[in-house]
Amino acid sequence: MRGAAKAPRTERPTMLPNRSRTSVLVFLIPPLLLYCAAVLFPILQSLFLSFFSWNGISDMEFVGLANYVRMLTADDIFWHSFFNALLYLAICLVLQLGGALVVASLLTSLRRGRELIKTLYLLPAVISTVAIAFLFVRIYSIDPVGLLNQLLHWVGLGSLERAWLSDVNTVLAAVSAPEGWRFTGLYMLIIYAALIAVPKELEEAAVLDGASKWTLFTKIRFPYIRPVWITTTIMATTYGLRGFDIPYLMTNGGPGQSSELLTTYMYKTAFTSTDFGYASTISVFIVIECLVAVGLILFMLKRKADS
Amino acid sequence: MKKLFRAAAVAAACALALTACGGGGTAGNPSNVSPTGEIKPREISWLLSRPADGAVINIMKKLADDYAKDHPGFALNLITTPDRPSYIQKLETLAAANKLPELFDTDATPFAQQLAKQGKMVDADKLLKSLGVYDDYRPGALDYQRFDDGSLYMIPFQFELEFMWYNKSLLQKAGVSVPKSLDDIPAMCTALRKAGITPIALDGQDQWPLERYVAYQPFREAGPEFVQKLKKGEASFADPAGKKTVGWLAELGKANCFQDGFSAQGYSDAQNQFTSGQAAMYNIGTWELPSLATDKLNPAVRNDIDFFTLPTTEGAVTAANEYVSPSGIGMAVNSKTYDPLVSDFLKFALGKYPAEYAATGALSPTTTVQTAVPANATPLYKKALDAANGLGSKQAMPWDTQLDPTTNGRLQQELVLLVQGNITPEQFTQTMDDAIKQNAPKFFK
Amino acid sequence: MIVQTAPATTRTAPPPAPVYKPRRRKPSLYRTLSRVLIMLIVIVQVYPLAWLFLTSLRTEQDFATGDPFALPGSLTWENYARAFETGDLGRNILNSFIVTMGANLLIVLFGMMAAYAIQVLGFRLSRFVRGLFLVGIIVPVQIALVPLFIDYSTVNLLDTYQSMIIPLAGFALPMSIYLFSSFFEYIPRETYEAASLDGAGPYRIFGLITLPLSLNTVVTVVLVNSIFIWNDFIFANTFVLSEELKTIPLGLQNYIGAMGKVDWTATFAAVCVTITPLLLVFLVLNKAMIQGLESGATKG
Repeated sequence: MRGAAKAPRTERPTMLPNRSRTSVLVFLIPPLLLYCAAVLFPILQSLFLSFFSWNGISDMEFVGLANYVRMLTADDIFWHSFFNALLYLAICLVLQLGGALVVASLLTSLRRGRELIKTLYLLPAVISTVAIAFLFVRIYSIDPVGLLNQLLHWVGLGSLERAWLSDVNTVLAAVSAPEGWRFTGLYMLIIYAALIAVPKELEEAAVLDGASKWTLFTKIRFPYIRPVWITTTIMATTYGLRGFDIPYLMTNGGPGQSSELLTTYMYKTAFTSTDFGYASTISVFIVIECLVAVGLILFMLKRKADS
Repeated sequence: MKKLFRAAAVAAACALALTACGGGGTAGNPSNVSPTGEIKPREISWLLSRPADGAVINIMKKLADDYAKDHPGFALNLITTPDRPSYIQKLETLAAANKLPELFDTDATPFAQQLAKQGKMVDADKLLKSLGVYDDYRPGALDYQRFDDGSLYMIPFQFELEFMWYNKSLLQKAGVSVPKSLDDIPAMCTALRKAGITPIALDGQDQWPLERYVAYQPFREAGPEFVQKLKKGEASFADPAGKKTVGWLAELGKANCFQDGFSAQGYSDAQNQFTSGQAAMYNIGTWELPSLATDKLNPAVRNDIDFFTLPTTEGAVTAANEYVSPSGIGMAVNSKTYDPLVSDFLKFALGKYPAEYAATGALSPTTTVQTAVPANATPLYKKALDAANGLGSKQAMPWDTQLDPTTNGRLQQELVLLVQGNITPEQFTQTMDDAIKQNAPKFFK
Repeated sequence: MIVQTAPATTRTAPPPAPVYKPRRRKPSLYRTLSRVLIMLIVIVQVYPLAWLFLTSLRTEQDFATGDPFALPGSLTWENYARAFETGDLGRNILNSFIVTMGANLLIVLFGMMAAYAIQVLGFRLSRFVRGLFLVGIIVPVQIALVPLFIDYSTVNLLDTYQSMIIPLAGFALPMSIYLFSSFFEYIPRETYEAASLDGAGPYRIFGLITLPLSLNTVVTVVLVNSIFIWNDFIFANTFVLSEELKTIPLGLQNYIGAMGKVDWTATFAAVCVTITPLLLVFLVLNKAMIQGLESGATKG
């Protein structure tokens, strides 16, 4: 890290000519302190705890890497939840980013009522997860028949009717959907803002050249909003990897481990099994997982932009 | 920056080491139940997991107010977290931080047993005896609170009986009668399903209701000792009693005994299915008497409802009058903060509590009072209360208070898969026996 | 369907500026389709809120036995009465308000200060510090529970407003810093230079230029965070013990009865009551928030 700072080009030019070193410290220290106390320090403590076996009330026992070995080699639930978390993330991303992009594009074609729709679209974000979870349990229910199964029945897809939250094959998708649905509005707003900022001249020139809607989108609009897209993707990914409330409230990870995520598993390990050491080990893994995910996104999108 | 990191890590280590050490040494003397000294009124807290507006809390609030009249400065701060998983989280974090209040609720779980071992809870056996109320309690109510070694650290505030409630007319419609044996139930479900009736309404979301079913067969086949051995790894699901329960649950699943999608349905959903006449049976305790045996019950089913107790099996080692009769989550007394005031207040409150509690129409954990039947009760109310007088000496313990928490969590998850037919009985047995082998030693050293 | 709605579309959209005239015929099918689609999506987004409200007006019996998605047979306010009777909703709302305000104050002030230091003042390790803050956007909040609980109990912060505010603010800080710095990047360098020539130091510039200019971003940060903080359950449940400090999500637990039985209609009435303040603020400030988000985003 030091090397990077010393590299000649990284010195960030200040916008203020006459600023003092103390002024930087005055502005920087309070936020940094809060952040260290609330975020960095607990992460370090987790790292520390992950080398111990501790149930909260017994004496702490140093176990070296045993927790890590157990996690990576001997814990079937851990791997199950890891892959679930990835799939959960994928579904959330498709719903949030895909949905946001589609709606934002549709919205740009609208001439009136944009403001109203934007507001309505954001509404689900204010409802508490408890209410959302309960609502969706009702929607997915089969006995009594819930809304989804009723709809399927009406459109003639009765064969698809099922207990969505009890079927090990559908439950993960079923718990991902509400999470995706909740925050689509937020991402839609951001993407919409980027889309309307695309210079009209560019689009009109392309239309004159006979470009189809699709080429217009892929060749003009999307490249233009790529930086925003990266930001949104990172936001959605990290929130997706943090997902907890809805699966925890709707199914508590079940049936079996079909909707167990790393976060819910970690939480249960800590607070149900009182295995704080092992839970910290999973926490450390989650932190690394998130860092890797963001790194990968930046890497992939950068390469795409360069090519 | 590196230096900062190192400093932070060292500080982290110190903070943790400090609290960890603090966790060990500061307990009071658990068997000193009658502390001497002056009664100095102060505010004490009770961390509990009971309905916020329920009888226990209302009565204790009132008793505390009465006590405060003679002891100015006294107050009882009731901190309730009715949602059990959230409560357990809170209790565990408080225990880890060594911040348990004067009184706190817990079941006789392995975690509680560790707290007791560390001397953090007052010996309730001695405490109740010294207060002169020990013999008032129903033996079953105290037994429910005991650890396997017979020691007692929690005081019960309730007494409940669990029955299988059923809808007479739905059973009639399907041409089936009340099961004589547990083994009759799968066939009964098949018949009910054929008649288009949901056989059993089950709250799958809260996990414990399905876990009751796994306890029934072993309790009949091998008695209450089975689970005590199982949790330590001394018995296995491959033993005859274990095999029987696993096979039976798989059969229940095959016969579609529970409503479709039960695993995601909550308490109210399940009860509504029964009280709206869609489901034929419903396994629940006497705490639901106010909604199942009074005029609050849906009039459409009010005259069709009855209950039977846990059926026996052929060659059962426990009697028909022995079943699940829990005395609810118990109250432990923190030994560290136990002083003449706490002692005196408990003496006052425990003496007056039973009469107040029985007046609400609930079964008291003591035998000293008569439960008042509410004015709007159906005849079933009295029948249910009377069952408490004819109980045998053994009781079926709910497994969620017995197994270590990790195994328990795994069992709850695997049970759903077993009943849904997602895994075979063999897979279930394998997974669970492995889970016990891995987790039990940590808790039952 | 399309045939039916097509004329309606032309009717509701009176011929606008002549620019559109030449391409009016062609995109009308596309436009109609997109309108229908938007309507559908809006229904999906708004429906739950409506459902929530309707359920809170149902009688218990109707809720238990009736089709939960049909219109209620009869409406009752009794659930609201029960909701206020069982829980201390006023107190819960007040607590949530204090926590939300407190956390937002920290998030906005500290977020701005850090962004100002990183983006405007600049210093040697600014990239590293920025990276450090990024970690907070990334990690899940649950990992902090156990360590924080232990730390709080050592410094006696358990069961206080601060115990909720600190982690809520700490974990929201990175996103706030991010939004503020992308906004600050947009304030032209010349503005600062001019102020500097007038003799203003970094503190005055912060108070007189940066702060007033970023009002929209402030609204955005406050609203986005309020949504999360108002509904936060996990920190509140871990760190709060006493009844007097319970926030809304904890208060909603009072409707849970014995063994997990929930009084759902009362719960939903309480949910409706408790989201109302947030909803009102949201509706009033929503325009500013959208603008802030949009300006933050396009410069991101």
